[in-house]
Amino acid sequence: MKVDFWGHEFEVNMWVGCTGGFLIAVMSSMFGFGGGPFMVPLMTVALGLPMYIVVGSSLLAIFFNTGMATIRHMQFGNFDLLLFISMFPAALLGGYLGPQIAKRLSPVVVKRVACVGLILLGLKLLDLY
Amino acid sequence: MKVKFSMLPLLALVMMALPIVPQAQAKEEPAAPTITLDKPSLNNGGEITVSGQAPAGAQVYVEVYAADKKVRSNRFDSKKDPKTGKIPYKFYLTNEMPAFYKIFTPKEMEPELEAARQAGKDWKYSEVLKKIGADAAYSAPAKIKIDSYQATIMASIIGSRGELLDAMDEKETKRESMRLVKGRFRSVNNLLAASVESTPEGAYTAKMKLRTGLAPGKYNVVVTAVTERIKEGDKETVKKVKSEVASFDNIQTFPTVYLDTAGTSINLLWPFLLTLAIAIFGVLMGAGGGFILNPILVSIFPALPHTIVAGTVMPTVLFSQGSGIYNYSKIKFINWKLGIGIGCAMLVGGFIGPKLTELITLDQFKFAFGWILLVLSGLMFWQTTPGYLEKNKKEQAILKEFKKRAEEAAAAKGAN
Repeated sequence: MKVDFWGHEFEVNMWVGCTGGFLIAVMSSMFGFGGGPFMVPLMTVALGLPMYIVVGSSLLAIFFNTGMATIRHMQFGNFDLLLFISMFPAALLGGYLGPQIAKRLSPVVVKRVACVGLILLGLKLLDLY
Repeated sequence: MKVKFSMLPLLALVMMALPIVPQAQAKEEPAAPTITLDKPSLNNGGEITVSGQAPAGAQVYVEVYAADKKVRSNRFDSKKDPKTGKIPYKFYLTNEMPAFYKIFTPKEMEPELEAARQAGKDWKYSEVLKKIGADAAYSAPAKIKIDSYQATIMASIIGSRGELLDAMDEKETKRESMRLVKGRFRSVNNLLAASVESTPEGAYTAKMKLRTGLAPGKYNVVVTAVTERIKEGDKETVKKVKSEVASFDNIQTFPTVYLDTAGTSINLLWPFLLTLAIAIFGVLMGAGGGFILNPILVSIFPALPHTIVAGTVMPTVLFSQGSGIYNYSKIKFINWKLGIGIGCAMLVGGFIGPKLTELITLDQFKFAFGWILLVLSGLMFWQTTPGYLEKNKKEQAILKEFKKRAEEAAAAKGAN
């Protein structure tokens, strides 16, 4: 499939994109997270697209998944309104405060800290300590 | 005359037996145990003592359950049947599980409970109940309505629970209810405690500790006294008497609230602060944050079912994604063709995923999520390697340039 973006033309292998997107969607909706951290590498590495086209478009693709998964989770009665009410304003506030703090921090340091945090959390879930 | 004479000893025998018969009956059916609670209510958990008089020498079990708060519990049976070698693929679901259920057993059962604790996650609730004789007291969950579905791979793909099977009989329901109870409350300490003390005369007391964060509302307490166990080969006949139902209230005040679907109480400030911290951190990383929020929630609130966590975090990130799309679309920074193309595939994936959440247990959820996080940390690390950063620098420069152009174009359009 040919994609046109700001005067540049890209050739996208939709088979790879859709299969990868499908698998990421199953996994992320099953475990209840967005899927962005997996979608961005898929589109930049596997599809060879530049970052500037990926940021917005991956978000749009993920939105489909999140929307559908939300409906399905509600259908199965997995949605708790009170818990949602306690988390939702915090998510909005975090989205507002985050960018202000981001200006003062190096993204590399943040990612390295996140990396250690994720390993610890992962090992904890695997019951290894 | 001869006949009359021979009747006499028989008559005497009957007369002698007469006073014995009611006595024998009294022995067979001893008085029901009395039951008294030392206080009418608890304030978000605490200790409550139940005491009373049971028949002398009886084993006393105390069953406690939430009377008005019900929760959901489900189990997917995909274990091979050792007899037929077939995998049943059955899905069991109930909405009537009491939000709290526990049996307090005589103190002497402690070694058996300790052995069950040592067995780890795979302890068998029904076997332990039998060993400590508490199956005689097991009654409240045995009456719940359980739906069973025949799941097929095809039905799972289209996201259906499968075909609803005929209602199970009483015995089957009881057996399955034990599995669902175990699936819901999981640990030995949640379900059983050896704390009933009895005197040889039959007076009993039991200190019952309830943790904080349980369902509020009415709790029922029933005492079962087992007077005799008769074993005939494999079959065991249990003679028991039950007390009347006594009740107490578990009171909770804001900000601790009861989550209806989750079946547990929680101080709402914690999820708020947690989400705030993780949302900020997520922005710094350039990602949502659901993948951190979920595992932390299931780790620090073990009473929160993973299905609820996944199902509630999902809509939370929905809105931040929506606002992100709006911001990008304002500066024409989205390729709709590409986004919708892959989005359609993700739509199908999002349809199937939530169904699978139901089919796995919390332990499987944690195991899989653990590996996902390890892969993710690998991806994160790769994004901090010098080669990636060098490439990223160029890309970021282009990104900035394009953003500027897009903003200018939008501004120019606005000016017109």
